[in-house]
Amino acid sequence: MFDGFLKQGTARWLVGFVCAATSLTAGCSRPVESPPFVAIEHAISPQPARVGPVTVTLKLTDAAGKPLTGAHIAIEADMSHAGMSPKFAEAKEAYPGCYQAHLEFQMAGDWIILLHVTLPDGKKLDRPIDVRGVRPN
Amino acid sequence: MTPSSIPGQETPESLPFDLMRVPGLGHLFRWRYARPLLQVPLLVLSLVMILHGLFGPTLAPKSLATTLSWLHFRGVLVLVLLCAGNFFCLACPFMLVRQAARRFFTPRFTWPRPLRNKWLSVGLFVLILFTYELFDLWSSPWWTAWLIVAYFVSVLVVDGFFKHASFCKFVCPIGQFNFVASTLSPFEVKVREQDVCTSCHTKDCIRGRREAISDLVTIRGCELALFQPSKVGNMDCTFCLDCVHACPHDNIGILSRLPASELIVDPIRSGIGYFSRRKDLAALAIVFTFGALLNAFGMVSPVYAVETWLGRMMHVSHEAPVLGLIFTFFLIVEPVLLLGLAAWLTRVWARSPRALLSLAVRYSYGLVPLGFGMWLAHYCFHFLTGLYTLIPVTQNAIASLGRAFLGEPRWALTGLPANVVQVIEIGFLVLGFAGSLVVTYSLAEDDSPDKPLRAFLPWAAVCLVLWCASLWLMFQPMEMRAMLMSG
Repeated sequence: MFDGFLKQGTARWLVGFVCAATSLTAGCSRPVESPPFVAIEHAISPQPARVGPVTVTLKLTDAAGKPLTGAHIAIEADMSHAGMSPKFAEAKEAYPGCYQAHLEFQMAGDWIILLHVTLPDGKKLDRPIDVRGVRPN
Repeated sequence: MTPSSIPGQETPESLPFDLMRVPGLGHLFRWRYARPLLQVPLLVLSLVMILHGLFGPTLAPKSLATTLSWLHFRGVLVLVLLCAGNFFCLACPFMLVRQAARRFFTPRFTWPRPLRNKWLSVGLFVLILFTYELFDLWSSPWWTAWLIVAYFVSVLVVDGFFKHASFCKFVCPIGQFNFVASTLSPFEVKVREQDVCTSCHTKDCIRGRREAISDLVTIRGCELALFQPSKVGNMDCTFCLDCVHACPHDNIGILSRLPASELIVDPIRSGIGYFSRRKDLAALAIVFTFGALLNAFGMVSPVYAVETWLGRMMHVSHEAPVLGLIFTFFLIVEPVLLLGLAAWLTRVWARSPRALLSLAVRYSYGLVPLGFGMWLAHYCFHFLTGLYTLIPVTQNAIASLGRAFLGEPRWALTGLPANVVQVIEIGFLVLGFAGSLVVTYSLAEDDSPDKPLRAFLPWAAVCLVLWCASLWLMFQPMEMRAMLMSG
């Protein structure tokens, strides 16, 4: 039925391409180092979150449950839609292990807050926080 | 060669403005490789979008896939359709891949007769709108990339098996959107002088130009079955310029015309037939118009209240059935009620001899300007408010490769202020409303010459209702959620 449909050599060429693409993709993977254990509790006020200024409070504890002091936390807030620029802020340590940052939600909807944490020993970790359903004013 | 075919010679005063006569542009379009020249950059861009969507950032505002697809492509597309014509189809990267594939695959089949209409593409158009809302395509670079891949695969499968431009004419949802919108474009591909066509015996514009001895086609004719001398308007025209290249008399141009004028007249059209007898085309026009409102409704706050309420009423927690109900209401119930009532009133008041369905089909084309106004307002909102975001997203993409030669991402760059864009949006809505009123009145004059006002009023009321709904939507607070019904 398909006599002549697939011209000579095409099948071999296609198979070769798929194999090359697969091996290239597989070769790109790298082993991932497991991040240090840090528990992060978060709170956003006001609740429910509304368009406008908000305060993000973060409590960092280590594996033993002790407050984690001296961390540097860069915050980035993104919307789920293209065309919205991210908002950046730095969290300040208000008291041992507790950090606060001020952000502004410019639009109602779902936001994602990305925490870029640098621990006192220089190790880094990233954590996302979903903030769903920010309400309009 | 006829005198009129010599480039640069005098053009009669009565002839419309012809883009093919513009120095440089005319030469470019006449060049046989003009189309690939436009397609190659878009193909490269498509590949970049696929790669960045699959392997780049997972956040939509940082991805080239989502930023280019849902902001820039859609915005530029509607603006080009408004200001010029269906030039996106001309530069369509999918067709470049298809052409390359046809060097290896020779299509053997003709498109099945029962599918030689717009019903399939109307269904796919609705499906795209539905999946856009259900899977929040705008928020997912990964899904956006796969959508582009799926498009390439679909083109290759359909046009790999079926001859001519089956995908463009009967399948492609973007193409159908462009066909309908381009009825409002100020330019169309058209013969310059009918007399030249009358005396033409070869009909290369449809048959293709052939070698004298072997009879092999060297330059193909229209793959969408549009015979230039009896082609009317832009419906089904991809601006591929095959007819321009095939015509031995250089008698085809890209001529200016009154936008929407093709919606008013109802002659038999090559490759299409009569608009007034094409229920599938009318359905496409209705989905185009009501879908514009539905698509915008999906991004404002009230939609979540409606979804939550419907979810409770239906005792379901999954979004699909709720969304299905909303789609059924907006794309079937609402049009049937509004158009049915208007058609019935037209019959009663203006004593139109046409049947209800025939009236609804005829006047549904009058709603197209309104729908296009809404698409313009919606897409230009995203495009203009996020106009400059392409810069930091590109900088970020380059930087992620380890070579930040474009500098660090300047995330503060966004676009025009929302209050400025809102004025532009209202302008588009007013333009669309005015266009719909003009078209429906012209249809009423044509349909009921004795009582045009009585025939017009019910349709004017439909236009007014839809326009008020559009304005209401534009003033709602925008709310973009990626997880609907999440509580």
